[in-house]
Amino acid sequence: MVETGKRIAPYVFISPFLILFAIFGIFPILYSITISFFKWTLAGPQDFRGIQNYISLLTTDPFFIGSLKTTFILLVFGSLLQHVFAIPLAIVLNDQKVKGRGFFKVMYFLPYITSTVVIALVFNQLYEQNYGWFNFIIENWLGLEGVKWVQNPGAIKASIAIMVNWRFIGWNTIIYLAGLQSIDKVLYEAAEIDGATGFRKHWHVTVPLLLPIIFFAVSMSIIGGMQLFEEPFVLMKGYETMGGPSNAGLTSAYYLLGTGFNFNRFGKASAIAWILFAIIMAMTWMNKVVTDRLQR
Amino acid sequence: MKKLVFLLTVAVAAGLLFVGCSGKKEQTSAADMPVFDPEKEYVVSIGAYGDLEKAYKAVMDTEDFKSTFPNVTVEFQTADFGGHHSRLTTVLAAGEATNDIEALEVGYIAKFVEGGGLTNLAAAPFNGVEVGKDIVGFAMSNATTSDGSLVAMPVDIAPAVLFYRQSLVDEAGVSLENLESWDEFIEVGKELVADRDGDGEIDQFAIPNANEVAMTPLNGGKGGWFKDGKPLEPKEKFIEALTVVKEIREAGIDGDLGAWTGPWTQSFADGTVAATINGAWFGGALKTWIATDLSGDWRATRLPGNTLAALGGTYLSIPAEVPDEQKAVAWEVIKYLTTSSNAQLTTFETIDAFPALTTVFDDPIMNEPVEYFGGQKVRQLYADIAQEIPNAAVSEYDAAILSVFGNAITDVLVNDASVEESYQTALNSVLAIAD
Amino acid sequence: MDQKSSSLGRFGGKTILYAILMVFVFIFGFPFYYMFVLSTVPGTEVYRNPPHIFFKSSFFTNISALFDDIPFAINFFNSFGIATLATVTVIFFCTMGGFALAKYDFKWKKPIFVLMLSTMAIPPFLNIIPFFKMMIFFQWYGTWLPLIVPGMANAFGIILMTQFMQSSIPDALMDAARIDGLTEFGILTRIAFPLSRSGIAVLGIMTFINSWNNFLGALVMLPNINSTTLPVALSKLFMQMDGDRGGLMAGTVLAVVPLIFVFIAFNKQIISGLAAGSVKG
Repeated sequence: MVETGKRIAPYVFISPFLILFAIFGIFPILYSITISFFKWTLAGPQDFRGIQNYISLLTTDPFFIGSLKTTFILLVFGSLLQHVFAIPLAIVLNDQKVKGRGFFKVMYFLPYITSTVVIALVFNQLYEQNYGWFNFIIENWLGLEGVKWVQNPGAIKASIAIMVNWRFIGWNTIIYLAGLQSIDKVLYEAAEIDGATGFRKHWHVTVPLLLPIIFFAVSMSIIGGMQLFEEPFVLMKGYETMGGPSNAGLTSAYYLLGTGFNFNRFGKASAIAWILFAIIMAMTWMNKVVTDRLQR
Repeated sequence: MKKLVFLLTVAVAAGLLFVGCSGKKEQTSAADMPVFDPEKEYVVSIGAYGDLEKAYKAVMDTEDFKSTFPNVTVEFQTADFGGHHSRLTTVLAAGEATNDIEALEVGYIAKFVEGGGLTNLAAAPFNGVEVGKDIVGFAMSNATTSDGSLVAMPVDIAPAVLFYRQSLVDEAGVSLENLESWDEFIEVGKELVADRDGDGEIDQFAIPNANEVAMTPLNGGKGGWFKDGKPLEPKEKFIEALTVVKEIREAGIDGDLGAWTGPWTQSFADGTVAATINGAWFGGALKTWIATDLSGDWRATRLPGNTLAALGGTYLSIPAEVPDEQKAVAWEVIKYLTTSSNAQLTTFETIDAFPALTTVFDDPIMNEPVEYFGGQKVRQLYADIAQEIPNAAVSEYDAAILSVFGNAITDVLVNDASVEESYQTALNSVLAIAD
Repeated sequence: MDQKSSSLGRFGGKTILYAILMVFVFIFGFPFYYMFVLSTVPGTEVYRNPPHIFFKSSFFTNISALFDDIPFAINFFNSFGIATLATVTVIFFCTMGGFALAKYDFKWKKPIFVLMLSTMAIPPFLNIIPFFKMMIFFQWYGTWLPLIVPGMANAFGIILMTQFMQSSIPDALMDAARIDGLTEFGILTRIAFPLSRSGIAVLGIMTFINSWNNFLGALVMLPNINSTTLPVALSKLFMQMDGDRGGLMAGTVLAVVPLIFVFIAFNKQIISGLAAGSVKG
């Protein structure tokens, strides 16, 4: 009796996902695969293209490959860099001795809930080359020449990376903190009895136990980073600029949306989405392999 | 692997089936189209952005509207500029319609003109071309496709003018009136550059940014990108635009301020810039919130060399999937908003959106001196310019080309690229995108 | 409380640590503070440069202008209602799904997991178009349903809960419960839910915030000002020529306050340690 229950239970528990997916998930996927084989505009399908969209994106398209490079750079310096800050911050906050932990948690979470309107205002103010605060500090306190934050192609990438880091370091810190707090205290005590303290304790006990969470958080960053759109779009002010000078801020998702909503080529945009999908799956799989190996 | 291929084939087959079945609605013939019934109660929904809701609500509050349409109630769905157009694209791309009337800004109309999804208003029973015979020609042509379909009716326009501050111009002892060329403009501009507070740094410029100028020789970027099927032709026109922009930057007369940033907005109020190029509606913005203290100091004049362009403008359309009955009443409302003097003038008075209807240009209000502009009769100026703006064919590639060309301009300004190089890069990109 | 050598001691003193923490507080908190400042500034001065950094006094003027511009209470109610329903359903269904993946082994486990991961890898940007088509077909346009139902058992939530549950629910506890006669569903409700408080809190916060801030979804699915959510209603004021910038800023501040409360409320749930009554021998 118990055995049957135990056998069918997981299926019952997972069924809502499967049902909802069957109803709401499948049609959009079919739709999007289908239109990627066409030239598809607001007037509907214009031309059957087969895999032509995919091929031209990967070979002759002047923007796609560049957008992939931009996306990767921002992935590393924007989305992945956060974890280097977030994990230590979480460990520090987790320590019993830190007072006002609640206060810090709230403050660190603020960037995630600050509205896009305000973020646009503030960062445009910071990055403004003649009157902005960053250049003010750089020119007056450091005596260097101001950076063209939103005009110089290299600086643009840095500007976006800064925005992304700002927005999500706190978010990841909270996730890690929650993860740390669900680790059984007994395990810490066992390690301490065995003589591990401080940094070693963290390295040998905390981090390995945190691995499922790290895998999760890093996967989320990879997926999110490869789909980065909001920050570059807001900084570069819309589809028309195509990421600004030398398309410096043009991530693949930005190009995807521009191709669909601005250039009216939904088929091509879908093809971009599926190419990105393949890349993201490959990267997530690699992440899993690495994490599994580390877990041994 | 085999499983994957099999699944993919099934998916594509299902998809093709779906594609085969999804047809766009055929436009109902004139004979079958229901007629507006004055006895019937209607509710009309309008999708709008920015100030339009405010303006049209004012129109609907007028006696004239109420007595013409006692049986019509109007509802609005308003969002910000970008959000509205994203929503509209989504809805039309899905082959649906959720509002009876949708407003469109001129920058977006090119995409919808060739893209489909909107009712052809030139066809019977609408006969939009006849109805719109008194609307400025260039605005009507901007909404007309290459095969003669009229996809929207112009409701307001934005002739481009040069705004400037009389006091700063007088101080420099120059004039921005009647400039014959951009070269002259640059010469005068140099006189407007100054270091007002004597700290060794220039803090007064002629205009906020050189790229303001870029679109004006190109009709504001609305149409005219192609000639004989070749993009970015005639070449001289585009080379000239890029060259002028480069020369302005090299002459040091622009402040390199990003549009709509804090410093940019501030520059009009605190003397950082002496002039700027924008559409007629910008005069309203200056008056209401950007430079409220400078009443009497600003003026408007034609662009150097009498360059003619439009930098803004709103259109009203009826999505193709709207039910026929609603189309009938939607069309009545659109006709009213676009061709009745009451609607055009009320809109103008409420939000400073310049009328597209030429018969209104003779109204006494156009001849009034405007206090903010030191008593200048700016409205007459806008009207005159509007009637001279040439017609230009729009194509659905406009959006793509605009993006690419915008980058060419920035390359020339920021990355020191040569004009010829930027043109070539732009051309190559356009040929790749415009498939 | 017999932690002898605090790990903090290693890093050279508490003061430095607190200093670093406070630096981050400043970096993260400043734009937020700035938002509050702007909400107290009269509308015409919002875009001034140099920008205001101290509070002014127009908060209430801005608020009353805001309430004239949009039906604030209704929009707030819509946002809150949708977000709450979304959060409650997501917590329930995703914890359930996560429990299955974390604590059971079954034949289709791996393929389902891969399926979930892949649904997250598809860039969601264009999906709004076919999704919208479906909602019209189901006649859900104009209701709250599109914003709640499809996401109830979403892959992200399930995978998040899976990660949290893996380290926090001992198998031994489950077996003991079975011996005591508890059904699997009972284990889910009496053991899994309580022990997953941390994960649930994180999921809850994220779901609430994402639902609240979902702009395009609400814009496309809800037809007019009285039915729409707060972010969409506020967008009406954005960049209007004659628009009420002060009201917009005040509205933005008011729109964010519930999020803070939700965060604080959920925050209390992230407690450390196992529930009392863990297995002893």
